[in-house]
Amino acid sequence: MVSPKDFVGRDVITVGDFRREELLFLLDAAARFEDLVGPLLAGRVVATLFYEPSTRTRLSFESAVGRLGGRAIGFADAGVSSQAKGETLADTVRVVEGYSDLILLRHSAEGAARLAAEFARVPVVNCGDGAHQHPTQTLVDLYTVRRELGRLDGLHFVFVGDLRYGRTVHSLVTTLAHFQARVTLVSPPFLRLPAEQRAALETLKVPVRETHELAEAVRDADVLYVTRIQRERFADPVEFERVKDSYRVDNELLSRARPEVAILHPLPRVNEIAPEVDAHPHAAYFRQAHYGVAVRKALLALLLDRATEVLR
Amino acid sequence: MSRGGGSPTYKVSALPRGSVLDHLRAGTALRALRVLRIPADATVTVGVNLASPRMGKKDIVKIEGYELSHDEAARVALVSPDATLSIIREFKVVSKSKLSLPPSFRGLLRCPNPACIVHQERVPGAFAVESRDPVTVRCEYCERSIAEEQFEFP
Repeated sequence: MVSPKDFVGRDVITVGDFRREELLFLLDAAARFEDLVGPLLAGRVVATLFYEPSTRTRLSFESAVGRLGGRAIGFADAGVSSQAKGETLADTVRVVEGYSDLILLRHSAEGAARLAAEFARVPVVNCGDGAHQHPTQTLVDLYTVRRELGRLDGLHFVFVGDLRYGRTVHSLVTTLAHFQARVTLVSPPFLRLPAEQRAALETLKVPVRETHELAEAVRDADVLYVTRIQRERFADPVEFERVKDSYRVDNELLSRARPEVAILHPLPRVNEIAPEVDAHPHAAYFRQAHYGVAVRKALLALLLDRATEVLR
Repeated sequence: MSRGGGSPTYKVSALPRGSVLDHLRAGTALRALRVLRIPADATVTVGVNLASPRMGKKDIVKIEGYELSHDEAARVALVSPDATLSIIREFKVVSKSKLSLPPSFRGLLRCPNPACIVHQERVPGAFAVESRDPVTVRCEYCERSIAEEQFEFP
């Protein structure tokens, strides 16, 4: 039995911090928060420390705080933070904990959120740490799948694109073990899912298939999870040019898939989904971005102990 | 360590002062030496693939005139978790202990992942042991698995 009190004051560093029952509780809570606007977080201040660029995660969190009557403070560019003066992350969070009730952190270094949580006395939520994890995106992804398909258990997920550096994939793929999913991984060889995640999937007994053939993989997909090949993660521009247009989802490809396949993308997209796909009834990526606000409203209210009334 | 009755005799007790690492996993003696910071002029005797009733084969390292520190013993445990360390003074074994590899530890190693936050902050690495044979640890920050051949010592 999960209760709202189970979430109060918790750090959210990796999605592995949550049990299946807790994940389902969070998704149910998000549904209750979808249309909710009110002063639940009145007087509360949330700090957004974004050392790396972000549009959706930062804006959806700021929107969530604003719609619940709280206030967001922070920066969206490491150049304007004290990091530019040589301050360590540990010192920054020890300062900011005195200004805020919760810290939202995005950082280019893997493990940054874990480190921040060790030093901060207020909850820290990982909003992306390098190629490592992006747990709130996983909550949004799960929420979107359930909203689009009406269920989460026993689905076939096809992941395509940059599976090596894509932290949203790293967060989501192992979480699927909670939902008896089948997983197909489609990527150029250079951008395969890292060995750690492949080993974790094997340990978790998630059936996994790897292929280069997207057209064949989509045939019985329930969810097609598309990711951008991220220029900023490549040290070698030649390597990026070689793989950047490896896969493209268009209507011709989707004609081979089930009509009800849900198409997700954490966004931003570049060329990997053709604009014509936007009209597909199950092109869910813009709705997915919007659901981010509901999920983040619920999460903030739970962590700050303001959700009990709403969820009663 | 000495044995009678025609068994091999390693004459450890003949050391006036020093350290003996015994029951090292076969083939790990040279790696164990690499993780230590023993003086360049120390006399070191290495035995590789020696017969052992308990282990089948084992390695042994004798270091004359130098006593391993607690930290150094902990580093050897990362290479060969079940080894024993004897400290010798005036030809006598004054302490004998089995090395231990705790389930998690701080310091000792540096995470080899250049993208890990520990390289930007003034914090010691934190690790959890994933497997003892072969030894594999996981960085508590970036969660990368690190095999023994990738170990970097600060």
